[in-house]
Amino acid sequence: MENKENENKYGEIKLVHRMTVIKRIIHWVFFLAIINNIITGFYIAYPFLFFGKTPAQADSLSSGILSSGETYQAFIMTWMRYFHFMGAVLIDVIFIVWLYLAFFSWKEPLYKSFIPFGDKMVEAWKMIKHYFTLKNKPETGRYQDSLNAIIFTIFHLLILLQMLTGLQMYVASFTGTSAVGAWWPWLMHFSTDWTLVVFGGLTGVTLVHLFIMWLIIIFIAYHIYIEVWRSIMWKEGDILIPFGGYKYLRNKSETE
Amino acid sequence: MDNGNDNRSKENKPGFKWDPLRFIAKNPDETLKKVDGRLDKLEKECFGDKKDKNSNLKNIFDVYGVTRRDFLKWTAFLTSALMLPYVFKPRVARAANILTRTPFIWLDMADCMGNTEAFIRTAHPTPAEIILNYVSVNYMESIMAPAGYQAETRRTETVKKYKGKYILVVEGAIPTGMNGKFLTIGAKGGTGLEIAKETAKNAGVIIAVGNCASYGGIPAAEPNPTSAVGLSSVTNRRVINIPACPANPVNVVGTLVEYILIGKAPQIDGLGRPLWAYSGRLHDNCYRRGHFEAGEYVRHWGDDGAKKQYCLYMMGCKGPFTWNNCTTAEYNQDISFPMRAGHGCIGCSQPAFWDRMTPFEKPNADAKIIIPGIEATVDEFGVGLLGVAGAGIAAHAIYTGVKKNKNKENRKDKEKKESKKTAPKNGSDDSK
Repeated sequence: MENKENENKYGEIKLVHRMTVIKRIIHWVFFLAIINNIITGFYIAYPFLFFGKTPAQADSLSSGILSSGETYQAFIMTWMRYFHFMGAVLIDVIFIVWLYLAFFSWKEPLYKSFIPFGDKMVEAWKMIKHYFTLKNKPETGRYQDSLNAIIFTIFHLLILLQMLTGLQMYVASFTGTSAVGAWWPWLMHFSTDWTLVVFGGLTGVTLVHLFIMWLIIIFIAYHIYIEVWRSIMWKEGDILIPFGGYKYLRNKSETE
Repeated sequence: MDNGNDNRSKENKPGFKWDPLRFIAKNPDETLKKVDGRLDKLEKECFGDKKDKNSNLKNIFDVYGVTRRDFLKWTAFLTSALMLPYVFKPRVARAANILTRTPFIWLDMADCMGNTEAFIRTAHPTPAEIILNYVSVNYMESIMAPAGYQAETRRTETVKKYKGKYILVVEGAIPTGMNGKFLTIGAKGGTGLEIAKETAKNAGVIIAVGNCASYGGIPAAEPNPTSAVGLSSVTNRRVINIPACPANPVNVVGTLVEYILIGKAPQIDGLGRPLWAYSGRLHDNCYRRGHFEAGEYVRHWGDDGAKKQYCLYMMGCKGPFTWNNCTTAEYNQDISFPMRAGHGCIGCSQPAFWDRMTPFEKPNADAKIIIPGIEATVDEFGVGLLGVAGAGIAAHAIYTGVKKNKNKENRKDKEKKESKKTAPKNGSDDSK
């Protein structure tokens, strides 16, 4: 009796599998790596913690606490750069895995949602209209909705640009060879030297790297907001996808 | 002489492969034989039957009180700066000797002549500056005796007489606007563009000294009213760039000595600079690098950090973006360079440094970005965008809340109306 009432009220509830274990791991490692790189990147661009032997030398907010002693004991910039590079390596690997999965995933190849042909653009436009009118909720399907797929793709392109500008700054300290051989700096020069021409030298590349970080921060704000919004408005548990991998599917929408 | 350069690009893949023997020959003995043969030939050409081959340098250095020992020390310094093996030391000395007799044209284009001043006005010149003072300049506006038509004739005759042999050094950017009319030189009023092109056509080796000649420098800075460009943009010959403001005399003499030793242009990087001098990044070779890693920065001129020679990153040092050998070869009689003197690097050996490296005394993150109508740093702009996005999100959240409530009320009203109409029917259905 109660079930039936609920069914009437909320519609039929079905489970949809959205993210495989690998994708969930990718999601959260990506999250941690990006947060890590934003914090350490801020420090590298504009060192905000100062070390010094006397409070006068370390007159930051945390002066006294961070008083370091000798120079050799306080390799804060080294650590910041170390973690920044570690995060960057994670992001690089994840990006390549993402690119592979976007085309060859058994479960849900992303390209089926994002390639902007046919009705994909129409679907995305319908979703945007839904965000502002709260009417005509597009049906939840087997795959991601087109709007999200397009925005995620743009986000990954930003990550790609961030990788390329970052590697260009990284290769600056190489002098022709490296611990793993000459191919590695050569590869970085080969794939990223165009950024010097396009963005106006290494200083320009640095500024572009900084600017894309802000776009990524904006994406994070949008992404969290819209997933929470969906969970509230649609009552389909969208926020659970990166945790459990499943969301619900209902054939009834209250917003209508 | 220039043909020898072309096979280098093939040998250089991937990236650059540094060969201390300059790809002259695979066998070191053969390399030395070739270099010696070349030096013998050049000595015969330059000194001929004159007897001053051995007393030439001595006469020059005696004037300045440079002893033989000082000169030997200098050749050792230059040999190691050139990244040549130690056996090249006497050969570097011979090449320096030949250099003083090699026909030489020094052109001054649009610039402040700071590179000339850098070596002719030195109080205590090192052998590098003295050698540059004593090269047999056939044409150099700032120090030559002839004037007017005589001077012009001197240049054109040198080009004819020493075709393919003379060294051409160009200093200063070349204005190309109005067909080069922004810069006219000499009695005939030839434009700098014409003169540079003519002289470059038949030169043995072409060297662009200073940032202006290399990449346009300050004359080419925004908005570049004279459309000034570097030398390599107006000639299709290979140009060796020795940028910096002013160029270090060691790098100029070193490049010339290397040319005399091996007869080829040196290995150059993507920006046309000799690898032996410009392959290291200042930031990586700086003696203050340890303080950078430790997070110890100068934050005000003359603060405690400045006294302790902390890193100048926060004072706008552009060392992380600049490739040069200032930290090892050093300026001012080889005793100092910007960071040692307590001011950050301004990136003067990089293209367009006047536009790209400013503000000179603030970190790069504080640079204003070039978007029409916006004058802000990247961070200010980013925070602005984030604020707009945040406001948009908040507006959408509020809008959603209001709209949802309205829909609920509407629905309740509808349901009430509907329930009034259909209540008895529903009831009867249930009872069944």
